[in-house]
Amino acid sequence: MEEKLLTQHFGIENLFKVDVYLKHSGYQAVKKALKEMKPSEIMDEVKAANLRGRGGAGFPAGVKWGFVPQDIDKPKYLCVNADEGEPGTFKDRYIMSHNPHLLLEGIIIASFAVGIQKGFVYIRGEYETIALRFEQAISEANKEGFLGKNILGTGFDLDVFVHRGAGSYICGEETALLESLEGKRGNPRLKPPFPASVGLFGCPTVINNVETLSNVPQIILNGAKWFCQKGLPKDGGTRIFGVSGMVKNPGIYELPMGTSLKDIIFKHAGGMKDGKKLKAVIPGGMSAPILTADEINIKMDFDSLMDAKSMLGSAAIIVIDEDTSILDVLKVITKFYSHESCGQCTPCRVGNSWINKIVKRIAGGKGNKEDIDNIIRLASNMMGKTLCPLGDAAAMPILSITQKFRKEIESYIGN
Amino acid sequence: MIKIFIDEKAIEVEESTTILKAAEHAGIDIPHLCYHAAFPPEGTCRMCLVEIEGLPSLELACSTQVKDGMKVSTKSERVIEARKGVLEFLLAEHPPDCPICDKAGECSLQDYYEEYGLFENQFNEFKEKREKKVKIGKNLIHDMERCILCRRCVRFLKEVTKTQELGVFERGIHSEINILDGVLVDNNYSGNLAEICPVGAMTDSDFRFKTRTWFLKKGESICPLCSRGCSIFIEYHEGFSRFTLPKRVYRIRSRENHKVNGFWICDIGRYGYSYIDENRIDKIIVNNKEGGETITWEKAVVFLAEKIKRLYHMKKTSRIALILNTWLSNEELFLINKIFRNDLSVENIYFTDPPEGEEDDLLLTSERSPNKRGAREIGFDLMPIDLETLADKTDLLLIFGSFMFDQFNLAEIKSALDHIETKILFTSHSNGMNSLADIVLPMSLIAEKEGSLTNVDGIVQNFSPALAAQGECQPEWKVLVNLAKELKINFKFYSQFSSSEAIFHEMKKEISFFEKKSE
Repeated sequence: MEEKLLTQHFGIENLFKVDVYLKHSGYQAVKKALKEMKPSEIMDEVKAANLRGRGGAGFPAGVKWGFVPQDIDKPKYLCVNADEGEPGTFKDRYIMSHNPHLLLEGIIIASFAVGIQKGFVYIRGEYETIALRFEQAISEANKEGFLGKNILGTGFDLDVFVHRGAGSYICGEETALLESLEGKRGNPRLKPPFPASVGLFGCPTVINNVETLSNVPQIILNGAKWFCQKGLPKDGGTRIFGVSGMVKNPGIYELPMGTSLKDIIFKHAGGMKDGKKLKAVIPGGMSAPILTADEINIKMDFDSLMDAKSMLGSAAIIVIDEDTSILDVLKVITKFYSHESCGQCTPCRVGNSWINKIVKRIAGGKGNKEDIDNIIRLASNMMGKTLCPLGDAAAMPILSITQKFRKEIESYIGN
Repeated sequence: MIKIFIDEKAIEVEESTTILKAAEHAGIDIPHLCYHAAFPPEGTCRMCLVEIEGLPSLELACSTQVKDGMKVSTKSERVIEARKGVLEFLLAEHPPDCPICDKAGECSLQDYYEEYGLFENQFNEFKEKREKKVKIGKNLIHDMERCILCRRCVRFLKEVTKTQELGVFERGIHSEINILDGVLVDNNYSGNLAEICPVGAMTDSDFRFKTRTWFLKKGESICPLCSRGCSIFIEYHEGFSRFTLPKRVYRIRSRENHKVNGFWICDIGRYGYSYIDENRIDKIIVNNKEGGETITWEKAVVFLAEKIKRLYHMKKTSRIALILNTWLSNEELFLINKIFRNDLSVENIYFTDPPEGEEDDLLLTSERSPNKRGAREIGFDLMPIDLETLADKTDLLLIFGSFMFDQFNLAEIKSALDHIETKILFTSHSNGMNSLADIVLPMSLIAEKEGSLTNVDGIVQNFSPALAAQGECQPEWKVLVNLAKELKINFKFYSQFSSSEAIFHEMKKEISFFEKKSE
C-alpha cells in the first residue's frame, strides 16, 4: 500500500476541526518551523525537497520563494491559488474541505520563510461551502494562536483571508488572480515584471497552489531527503491524481510521483467502466496534449510526460472510451476555451471562438475538407503568441487531438 | 548607451529603451496596433512580435527592453507569418466596411493588410453581430463590429483625462467597449479618441461621411483659440475642378509637440474651425457717401498714410487711436509698437479679445487668444476699451479684428464710431461692424500667414501658412510694413522687412525676452 502524505487522515471524522486535527499531530510542523528553524533554513529545505508546483506549471516552490527580494520596503503577500479551474481537476477541494488545517500549516510556514504577513486564499466562487469551512478553520486557528499577532510567541504576525472568485477560469492564472484580487477585471498582466517583484498591489507576492503548500508541513517534519525518497529524486513527494471519465472508480488517488498511468487507470481506478475499450487519455488536466490508448505506458511525472510531448499539469486524468466521439471531446474543449478567454489578446480571443465555430459546424454536418488543416493552422497561430498561457492551454489539446485523431474527425466531414 | 542590431543594422540606444522605440529611432517601423507612445505598453494586439536571436519564442517589441548585443529580426519568415496570423484573426471578425468607413485611407488594419495580408479569406463562419452606431460621446460614434479591442480609448480616458467613461464589458469574443454608468464621453478631450483609434471603431461625428481622407491635404499651424498654442494640422480639401466645395477645412488634428501639447489637443480647438471658412471677406470694401466702391491695396495704404501724415504734421497724433487684439503675431505687434508708439507717439492703444473662459488642468487656458503674453513682452498694457474716451478724443481710428462685438452691442459701437472722422477696419470676417468703417481691409488668418506667437508659458512658436490666403486678403504685417514705408518716417528701417522672419530678427535685437528664444 503506497504511503500517503496528504490524504492519510481523510477518513477521520471532523478532521477539519482544530481539536481533532491537533490530536493527530496537527501543527507540529508549524511549531518546529517557527521555533527551531530560520526562514532561510526553511527555504533551503523546500528547495532541496524539489517540491514542484502542483497547480499545473510545475515550477519549483522553493526557487519561487527565493525570487522575492528580502531587502525591500514594501509588504509581501502570499496568494493561495484555490481556483482549481483546470477541467478534470478536483483535488484541492478535498484538501480544503477534509483537512483545511494542513493547508493552513503550509501557509503559515511559507509565510514565515518568505517574510509575509498577509495571505489571501483565492478560491473559486463555485466552492461556496468549502470557502465557508476554510474560513471556519482560519477562525479556529486564530483562537488557538496559530494565526494573528505574535504566533507562538515568536513575534511573527500573519493574517489569512479568503476571497471568492466569480466564475472565471482565467483567474486561475496567477497575474489574472492578482488583478481579480485587486478588484479589477481578471485580465492577465504582461510578464516581466514577475509577481515575485511586482505582484499584489505592486508588492512582492508568492502564488502557490493548494496542494503545493499542503506538502510543506511534511517536508519540515521529515526533511527534504525523505520527501525525495517518497517520489523521484528530482520530483519529490506524491501527487493527488484525479481520475474521471469512463472508469469504474473515479476519484482522487494519492500516489508517488512517477506512478505508471496504466496502473492508475487499471489498478487503482478499477479499469474501464462497463468493459469498454480505452480510446484516449488526457493525462494532466484538459490543456494537456491527449494520449492515445497505445501511449499509456508512461510514468506520471513532470519530465516523463514532457518527453512524451504532453504534460503532468494538474495530474487530472480524464479517461475516454471507445463510445465517446472525439469530435464531442473537441467540441467541449473548444467551447470551454472560447467561453473562458478573457479577450485581451487577439489570437486567443478570435482563435478560440473561430475554432469552436468550425468544430460546431463540423458537428452539425456541414464540415469542409479544409476545416481540419485550418484548425491546425489557427491553433498554431495561437501557440506561443498569446499574452498568457491560456492560448497555449487551448492550442495544445486542439493540436494533439486533430493530429492524433484526424481520421475520426474526417469521418464527420461529408463527401 | 548600448549597441543592438535590428535587421543586421547596428544601433546605439539607451539601456532602458524598448525594441519598438529603438527601431523607431533607427527609422525601422515595426507594425503595432495597441501600442501608443503616450501610454505604457499594453502587449495585447500581438502585432509587434519580433524574433530575438537566442530566444525560442517570438517576443513583443513594444514591451521588451533591449540588452547589449541583442540581435533582433523584424522581417524573418517567422515574424511575417506571425503578423499574417494576427491580421487573419483580426480580419476574421472585422466587417467589410471599408467602402463606408471614415477611417479608410488612414486605417492601420488596411495598411498592414496591404503589406502583410492579401490572402484569401478562410473564415467560413458567421461573424459576431454587434451594434454599429452607438452614440458614445458628444462627438463620438462607436462601431462595435469594427473594434479590435486595443483599448487605447479606455486607457486614454484613464490616464490622460482621468475620467474613465469607457470600460470593457463581457469577456472573450463577446468583449465590447461601452460607457460606464450611462455617462457619455463628454470631456474636453473626447475628439482625441477618434484620432487614436487605429481603425474606424471610434469615429468623429463631426467628420462622419463628409469626405474621404485621401482628398485632404495637411497644413501645419498653431491653434489660436486659447493661449496654449497647441500644434495642429489643418486638413483641407482643395476642391474639385468641376465644382467648388462650400468650405476648405474639414477637420483639425493634433500635431505632436512635446514642449507644448504633447500628443493631444482639446475639443475647443479641434471643433472650433468654422471661423476659417465661414463669413470671410476677401475684397476691400469702401463705405463712402457715394455708395460702395472698391480700391486697390496701394490706394488704401496711401489713403491711410495721408490721414496719419496730416495729423503727424499738425502735431495731433494724440488724436489717433488703435484697437488691437492678441490674435496678432509677435511681429505684427512689434511693428505696431514701433510705428504708432515710437514713431508717431500714439498713446490711445486699446485691446479687445474674446472673453476669457474656464481653464482645465490639461491644455486649455482661461485666456482665449494666442498672443497675450507676446503683447505684454513687447510692452503693451492691454488697456481695455473706453468707448467715451474713444469717441471724444479720436479723429482717426484703426480697428484690428471684430472682437469688440463680444464686449459692446452694435448700437453702442455705432454711436461711438459716429463721433470719429475716419475709421479703418482690418478684419477677416464680415459682420455688423463692417458697415461702420470707412474702409474694410480683408485680412488673412493665422492659418494663412507666417509669423510667431508667444504662448502662456512664454514659449515662442513660429508658424507658416497652412492654407493659401483667399482673394485680396493680406497678412497684417505686410500691410503695416507698406504703411510704414509710405509714412517715410523711418523708410530704411522698415524696408528690410521683406519677411516676418526679418522682423523677428530685429525683435531679437531690441527685446531681450525674444533674444533668449531660439525657435
